[in-house]
Order: sequence, then C-alpha cells, then structure tokens
Amino acid sequence: MKKKLLAVLLALSMTLALAACGGQGGNGGSGGSKSVKVGLICIGDENDQGYTYNFIRGKDAATEALKAKGIDVDWVVKWNIGEDSGCEDANIELADEGCQLIINNSFGFEPFMLKVAPDYPDIEFVACTNQASWGDNLENTHNAFANIYEGRYLAGVVAGMKLQEMIDKGEITADQAVIGYVGAFSFAEVISGFTAYYLGAKSMCPSVTMKVQFVGSWSDATAEANAASALCDLGCVMISQHSDNTTPATTAQTKGAFHTGYNNDMVSVAPEASLIGTRIDWSVYFEYIIEAVAKGESFDQDWCHGMDEGAVVMTPLNEKIAAEGTASKLAEVEEQIRTGKLQVFDTSTFTIEGQPLTSAFALDTDGDFTPDSEEAVFDGAFHESHFQSAPYFALSIDGIEWLNSAF
Amino acid sequence: MSQETKTPFLRLARRDGMEGWKSWCVRAGSIAAALLLGALVMGLAGADPIRAYGTIISGALGKKTAIRQTVKIAVPLLGCALAIAPCFKMRFWNIGAEGQITAGAVAASYFALFWADRLPAPALLAVMGLAGAAAGGVWALIPAFFKAKWNTNETLFTLMMNYIIIGVVRWLQGGPWEGRKGSQIIPQFAPEACLPKVLGVHCGWIIVLALVVFMHVYMKYTKQGYEIAVIGDSVNTARYAGMNVGFIMMRTMFLSGAISGLVGFIVASGANNTLYDGVAGGVGFTSITVAWLSQLNAFAMVGISLLLAVLEKGAETLQTRMMVPTSISDIITGILLFCMLGCEFFINYRMIFRKKGPKEAAK
Repeated sequence: MKKKLLAVLLALSMTLALAACGGQGGNGGSGGSKSVKVGLICIGDENDQGYTYNFIRGKDAATEALKAKGIDVDWVVKWNIGEDSGCEDANIELADEGCQLIINNSFGFEPFMLKVAPDYPDIEFVACTNQASWGDNLENTHNAFANIYEGRYLAGVVAGMKLQEMIDKGEITADQAVIGYVGAFSFAEVISGFTAYYLGAKSMCPSVTMKVQFVGSWSDATAEANAASALCDLGCVMISQHSDNTTPATTAQTKGAFHTGYNNDMVSVAPEASLIGTRIDWSVYFEYIIEAVAKGESFDQDWCHGMDEGAVVMTPLNEKIAAEGTASKLAEVEEQIRTGKLQVFDTSTFTIEGQPLTSAFALDTDGDFTPDSEEAVFDGAFHESHFQSAPYFALSIDGIEWLNSAF
Repeated sequence: MSQETKTPFLRLARRDGMEGWKSWCVRAGSIAAALLLGALVMGLAGADPIRAYGTIISGALGKKTAIRQTVKIAVPLLGCALAIAPCFKMRFWNIGAEGQITAGAVAASYFALFWADRLPAPALLAVMGLAGAAAGGVWALIPAFFKAKWNTNETLFTLMMNYIIIGVVRWLQGGPWEGRKGSQIIPQFAPEACLPKVLGVHCGWIIVLALVVFMHVYMKYTKQGYEIAVIGDSVNTARYAGMNVGFIMMRTMFLSGAISGLVGFIVASGANNTLYDGVAGGVGFTSITVAWLSQLNAFAMVGISLLLAVLEKGAETLQTRMMVPTSISDIITGILLFCMLGCEFFINYRMIFRKKGPKEAAK
C-alpha cells in the first residue's frame, strides 16, 4: 500500500516538473522599438463571433499595422467581464499591471471605469460606444464609436436594389416590398442603425416599408431566429438585424427571404440569402490611440469616424444573388458618403407623422436621459454622431412600424 | 478460504469521535491535497504551478488595491454564508439565497433611486438596509410558510423563487427604472445612497464582521439557536419537546432571508452603486460552499470566504499575467470543496482492511 502511494506521488511530482518546464517563455522584451502596454476589457470572448470577436479582429490588425511602424503592443485582455463592480476591479487590475491605455469595450462598463480613472491620471481610459467623456471633467477619459449608420445605409442600398429588381421582375408587387428588422432593444444606437438602413433601401426602392421586432437581448440566438421567422410570416421578404447571432440569416434562408448582416460576414452561413454585411473596423481607432500613447501625444476625447477613415467597412458582396449593377452603385454611394456629398439623415428624404423634421436635440446635459441641447438638424440634415460619438438619433420615422416597443 | 471471501476487502466503521487536533490535521491535509491536485490542473493548462500559486497570492494580497478588491469579494460570501447557516443547521435546504439577496437589493435600490433627495445620507442608508432586510426576509418567508403549512419541497421552492425575482429585476432594468432609453441600465445611485468607504473598502465589511459575532452568539447561546439545533437533529424530538416546528422554521427562514437581503443592500449600495439582474452573481450558491466547508462555524466562515476570495481575485491576476483562463479558480474551488467535504468522511468513519493471519481465521 505504501509503495503504491509512493509511486503515485512520484508520478504526480514528475508530471508537475514536466508541466513546470513547459510553462516558461513568452516574456522577453524586444529592444530598439517602442513598446506600449494596452489593456482591453471585453464583455464576452471571441467565440461570440460577433461583438467581442470584432474587437479582437481590430486588435490583431492594429498590432500588425503598428509593428510595421516600429511600435510593439503588449496586450492584456480580460474576457467575460460583467457590467458591475467586477469591471471596476478589472480596470484597477490592468492599471496596477502597468497598462498605459485601458480600453473598455461595452457600453455598460463606463460608469465603473469612471470610478477608477480619477485614481490613475497618467493612464488613458477609453469607453467604447458610450458618452460621458465630454462632460465628466476628466482629462484621461475617452469615448469612441464609428459611424456604423453609414455602413447600414449602404447595406440598405443593396437591399433596396434587390427589392426593386424583384418588383421589376414581377416577383412581388410594389407594396409587398417589406423589410423585417430584428433589433436588440429600442436603444438610440439600434434606432439610428435601422433608420439609416431603411433610408438606404428607400433611396433605391421608393415603395419599401419596414417592420421592426425587438428581441430584448443583444445576443439570444433562439429569440433572434424566432423574431426573423415571425417577420417572414408577416410578409417580410428582406431581413436585417442589430443583434449578435447569425440565426436571422439562416432563418431568412429557410423561409426564402433575403438578408443583410452586421458585425460579421454572414454569407458563409446563408449563401442563398445573405447579400452583404457591415461592421466597424476598430483597428483604425486602436492604431490611432496606441500610436499617440507611444509617442506621448494626446488623442481625441470623443472620436467618431466612418467611411472617411475606413472605420466602417462592408463585408464582401454576395454577387451571385445581389441585383445587377449593385457593386458599381455601392461604390458610387460609398464615395458620396466618404466625401460628405450624401447625408444619410437628409431631412428631405423622410417625415415624422407626415411632417418634415426641423429640430431635434443631440445631447443630454442634465442627466435626465432626454436630449436637451445642441441642435442636430442643420444644413438640411440630421447630423448623427456630430456632437458626441455615441448615436443619438432616436426618432420614429414614417414607413417604419415598431411591432413591439416593450424593450 | 471460505471465511476470507466472506470478509470484504474494505469495511467502514463509524468513529466515536476523533480528537480535535487530529481532525483539524486531516482537514489541513485535505487542503494540501486539493492544492496539489490544483497544481496538476494548472500544469495541464500550461502554467508553472509554483509561479501560478505565487501569482494568485501576490495578485490577491500583494498590493493595497488588491487586498481591497479581495475583501470586497469576500464580504457578500461571508454575509450570505452566515445567512444560510441557521437554515442548514435546521436541515432546511435554503438554496434561495441568490433570490433573497436580489430581493434585498431591489428594495434598497428603490429608496436609493427615489428617496436620495428626501433623506439625509445616514437615514437613507439605514432605511435602505432595513428595507433590504425586510424584502429578503419576506422572500424567504414564502417558501418557509408553504413548507410549514403543506410540507412542500423547500429545495425546489427556494430555487424557483430565485428566477422570479431576477426576472423582476430584468423588468425594472428595461422598464420603469431604466436610465437612458433602451440601455437596460439603471442609473448609478446618488452619492448619499452609496455606503461610505472605510480603509478603502465599502463599510459592508464592518457590517458582516458584526454579523459573525451575532450569529455565533445566536446559534450557541440563545434559546432560538438551541431550538434550531434540536430540529436539525430530529424534528420528532423537537415536536415531543413541545416546540412549534412550523413557526421556528418560518422565524429562522425570515432571519436567514433578512441577512441575505442585507447582503443585497451591501452589494448594490457598496460595490455596484446600482441594481442589475446579476447583483447576486452566484454568491447565493458559492456561500453554500463556504457554510459547509466551515462546518457552519461562524468564525471559520471568515477564513473560508477569504480563501475563496483570494482564489477568485488571484485567478483574475493569473489570467492577466499568465493567460490562464479565470475558470481555473472555479476548478480549484471545486477540487477544494471535494477534498474538504471528502475528508469529513475520513474523520467520521474508519476504514478497516481485511487482515491476513491467524487472528482473522480464529474468529
């Protein structure tokens, strides 16, 4: 018995010794080039194939680009952090580990980040997609977003051309051109996105209407599939989404509808339905801020760019099923957006309860969550993401029907 | 030969009670065994176990800020373990602490959100604490009432109650208490509604330490504590002695829920400064581990909850520095639980191996 025990212990210690040998390495610094330690706090992990995955893609691309400029990035990534005091702990931990720049990737992280930022004035803190930096009186807090509504408008153009082609071929009548939109919540970012999408479609197919179904979750594969299915049953022939999963695409395919995606290329999962997708390319922003930190320069407190800097990109067009001439039209409209010739929220293209939009506020300054300052409507358009990076278009325009606004 | 086949290779016999020091030696040994097994797991995950344990310790206790975070993690674990201890002593399986914490947090948050401008800070915090305790108590009283009245299964009942109150919080988050439209986020509390910090950590740690003393005295030296112990040993004995078992059950559950509710108030007001559906964050379940590992001893709970907090905080640092997944701490906690509960078996039972030789044959 004792011998056996000894054997087991010996085997155990040998395994440990072996494991100990295997665990070394990977800690050497490289001379000559500048090195920046950057913390990234993620709400999920890259397995979501959606929101966090898109950040990781941006991180990897930025690392490559900076390497070419002689800047080494030492990333420390925290996965699956909740929007609670755990996020505060993650910020403290990364700050204590010597990160010079800490990026929070989810909207709900900001209040917890703001509890840590004042204690570390030499470290730059970024809250992606949120909006407090313009009013928090802190020098070292930042916000960033991208003009994703530009990409949505373009996806809408692709959808509108397909719908118009179906009408012209007699496959559907003009009033059967109905889009179904699977939205997460009735949140400004979502509303702004689907309105831009609808306006893009309408520019190509004037008779189009849209139904929006909110699912009450940013990521719930089953609920998203159910919502897409219900929308198809209501006669929608085109599905789009602002939610994390690919199930709306696959549902559209089984129901014989078409689809445009978000965050990820969905053509591979639904080759007969998915036309195109759009996503934010975070590498553009990451490259910009990390380079600034490496050089010891300051960077924008509130950053928002789109097609102009390549921060919003389209995934490859599915030429097999897209309408004829889509690619060239897409390039034309993209150029117009890039140069500023085309305004996505052009007030002459939509009405609210039959009236054109003449006035809308952008910012909430008194904290009651209703915008009360900065006129966003001027020069014939509603200027989205102009006064702050986070979207603030939250109006309900004619032609879009909200099936449920409980969320 | 035939006699030998009748004697099993291994027999178990109940011990009459091991000396105190010996049983604590077995327990310490089981912790050591668990840490060794944990080292094996870390080795498999590709980390040098000695460096990894070093990182866990230094990550959890190496810096002032780290110690504060560790204590912040330990506070609700300890508070909630104290809450469920009397129920478990009574053999009433309250696994609804998660929901009782949440109920307490909801009630406290109501006052934090809507009374912050009407009351001075100390009064506001007192009201929030009382409301939290009352709500947690009522949430626990419901399954206790059904158990006392109709002998329903308290395990399932308390578990189901968790999901109801978490659903209520989701509704509040997206509905009446929502901040920015569509964000699903309840605004941060006003500063008056947040627990003040003492030595860098919200003062919830003082409250739970006071509760440790209270619970120890309550369980050891009061008539009510004695009644709980008697019911735990034998319900029939308690009835024979003239105790109103149903009433004691409800009273104990109310107390348990009230302490959980107070923990909910501490977490919402002290740590998060807001309410959300994950406010309990699994504490209601992890604290069952704490309570069991401590043998329901209030003072041992302080140590065990700190141990689990060190593991949890240390695992975060482990991930930061050595890229080891944080779930490793869950694995080590699981191994620890397994070994420590397993060792109780060896304290209570003796193993008798089949003996060879004349002694056995002579029988």
